[in-house]
Amino acid sequence: MTESRRALLAAPFLALLAAFLIAPLLRTLAEGGVSVGLLRDPYFQSRLVWTFGGATLSAVLAALVGVPLAWGLAGYRVRGASFLLRALLLPFVTPTLVAAMGLTALVGPRGWLKLDLSETPAIVVLGNLFFNLPLVVRLSHAAFSRVPSELEASARSLGASPLRAFARVTLPLAAPGLLAGVVLVFLYSALSFGLPYLLGGERYATLEVEVYALALLEGRLSEASALVAVQLVVTTPALLAYLRLARSTPLGVATRLPHRSAPLAVRLVLAAFLGFTLLVCFGPLVAVAAKSLLGPDGLTLAFWSGVASSDDPPLSFLLLNTVRFGVLTLIAAVALGVAFSLAAARSNVLDFVSLAPLVVSPVSLGVGFLLLYPRLLAELPLLVAAYVLLSTPLVVRSLLPALRDVPRGLLDLARTLGATPGQVLRRVTFPLVLPALRGGAALALAATFGEFAATLVLSRPEWATLSLGVAEKLSRPGERNLGEACALATLLMGLALAGFAALDGGRGDVT
Amino acid sequence: MLKWLMLMGALASTASAATLTVVTHDSFDLDKALVAKFEREHDAKVRFVKAGDAGAMLSRLILTKNAPIGDVVFGLDNSLLPRAREAGILEPYKSSALANVPAKLHLDPSGLLTTVDYGYVALNYDKAWFEKKKLPLPKTLEDLATARYENLVVVQNPATSSPGLAFLLATVRHFGEDRALKWWSDMRAGGMKITRGWNDAYYTDFTRNGGKYPIVLSYASSPAAEVFYATKKLGDSPTANLLLPGSSFLQLEGVGVLKGTAHRELARAFVDFLLSPAVQADIPTRMWVYPARSGLKLADVYRFAQEPRDATSNVNGAASLVDRFTRTVMRAGR
Repeated sequence: MTESRRALLAAPFLALLAAFLIAPLLRTLAEGGVSVGLLRDPYFQSRLVWTFGGATLSAVLAALVGVPLAWGLAGYRVRGASFLLRALLLPFVTPTLVAAMGLTALVGPRGWLKLDLSETPAIVVLGNLFFNLPLVVRLSHAAFSRVPSELEASARSLGASPLRAFARVTLPLAAPGLLAGVVLVFLYSALSFGLPYLLGGERYATLEVEVYALALLEGRLSEASALVAVQLVVTTPALLAYLRLARSTPLGVATRLPHRSAPLAVRLVLAAFLGFTLLVCFGPLVAVAAKSLLGPDGLTLAFWSGVASSDDPPLSFLLLNTVRFGVLTLIAAVALGVAFSLAAARSNVLDFVSLAPLVVSPVSLGVGFLLLYPRLLAELPLLVAAYVLLSTPLVVRSLLPALRDVPRGLLDLARTLGATPGQVLRRVTFPLVLPALRGGAALALAATFGEFAATLVLSRPEWATLSLGVAEKLSRPGERNLGEACALATLLMGLALAGFAALDGGRGDVT
Repeated sequence: MLKWLMLMGALASTASAATLTVVTHDSFDLDKALVAKFEREHDAKVRFVKAGDAGAMLSRLILTKNAPIGDVVFGLDNSLLPRAREAGILEPYKSSALANVPAKLHLDPSGLLTTVDYGYVALNYDKAWFEKKKLPLPKTLEDLATARYENLVVVQNPATSSPGLAFLLATVRHFGEDRALKWWSDMRAGGMKITRGWNDAYYTDFTRNGGKYPIVLSYASSPAAEVFYATKKLGDSPTANLLLPGSSFLQLEGVGVLKGTAHRELARAFVDFLLSPAVQADIPTRMWVYPARSGLKLADVYRFAQEPRDATSNVNGAASLVDRFTRTVMRAGR
């Protein structure tokens, strides 16, 4: 690919980044200046320690559970594995408020598990696992799947024990991919806002929560900027580490097809890890769905019929908006993501740049939007731009490794047989990377449904979506509001699952 | 042909109609038919923009004051008015409709904010919980701070939530600033939970909804809302107000014209509109606050709400108070 063509392909996403990420971030930092004096305050030092310590703990735990599970799913025939991998995207789309309610229903003061973790750091870490364990499982699954099964088999036939073959062949080859997932969990947890905001109380707030309070509630922008600067100092090296790891993942399309059934011992261990994952990732969701059916006197459909018969706004309106924003974002994110990935396939710099939206403080972006685009704030294009900004990297993340894995020889062969570059792209490259693209599209759709962007821009009543409907219900007291919020949240999960089934095709090959 | 002309006419008129942008907090809700009527009468479009909860909304308005994001703001209250005044984001307008609002509810003599509704921030308690434990209710704030009531209260942080600030102001009015901060520190040492916002306190920490604190800082109208939103007809509310002397705050919520509006007349008309009898009658069971206009009949369910007699609406020194609160209560000892 020529330089000029590469630049042309990368341009749209780069323009979006410049306008809606770099400029707002710089504007926020410039507005109040950065008052580093705040960092001498023991209170903020303890925040710092908790934010990055908690993120590290979350990442380590996610690895301890997620990696063995992914290994089992990739190496053995497990019934329903592809459904599980697809369903594991559900936590990703869950609005934070719903996740918090679900976790409280499980491990709150009157939780079903009879284990009260409220007001402890454990509930925040569990929350991080709820959102991120799926990521580790899916990324690790992809990493293990890329290790050609012949390699391990050869080691075995040369006399290595199963454990030795795994430790000396499979693990080293998959390691970068596994570690990449862990670093990503660290990054997401370190920047998470909603969950520590709701569950951490004031004792376990993260830096991002403090940024929100300082910038948008207390009006102390320069102190908020100091915290944003600290975040950048930590997240940038982590991001670089992630990229190094992701790039050193071995080539090879996910060819490994599990056909063996696992021995009993392995099965038991797998079952334990699976059980934990199911509990953490789906327990809260099941709890919310159950709450939508439980009234004061047992089972009831009152909340569901309340939601269905509401006319202000009608349910169809919420559904339609959710789908509309999802599809709009999906189209834009896939178009930008494909173009950018083609350009970035041979460029480290572009690769790094594509991840930026995932590691920059969303709250500081929101403030930057206010300062830069006050007139645009309540306009649809800005809302969609914010969604696209956050979901395009997910498409790029999925697509890039697959693109890099397409064997050069195959492309050269097609060329020598007379195919034009366009034909090579359409007939050879595209079919090979399609599963990855579908996976990335599913993630992008998930991001929109989960509405990461909603906190960034202002909302308008005519844009109300399912997750805004949930928040609206929860802003008024009363049992019916709580029950109907749970019903709307359940509906959102159903919609998301349907979306994944359509897009992801069950391969689960999302990196 | 006639149809065609009418269609063109309709399109032309929508194009020429002015759009009034009303910035509101997230809990704003108003009957659509009423808004449509306003639009017809003034040949205008009304666009609502939700900007977070009231505190976050004010910050956003201050950040954008050089290029205002709207023409009118609804939802700033007496506790936020000093900050809004200092930042200079509002322009005065004295609505003639204020004649129907009792003088004690007026927000600002110069007309920066016009009172639309009022409500009381008050402690609520879970009736079933207290009956089950056979624990008598506390009588005073001092009483509440004794060992007997340890670990029973959840309130919101004054630095991040408007009911939290309201409660702090009420305690300061009652105790004086030093003793009030001491009371908060004692309460906190005795296990009072301080959350960031209303909905996490109410929906995750209050015993009614699965939490472990049977006393929650909410609104005096919340018990009425509990009855209104119950799944079956209730003869009584499951929650009630705990009106300890010096614990309630009178929150006056208003509408103001944003400085720099291009639609001043329309903005002013909207202020008057919010004080019109039809809108005022719609407010109580939508936003769970009392209409500012006197002489309106409230829905029957409001018999489960009370109007505390000693509630203060005084907000002097709120900004420095919050700073002091954050330093001495929230960040102390850690």
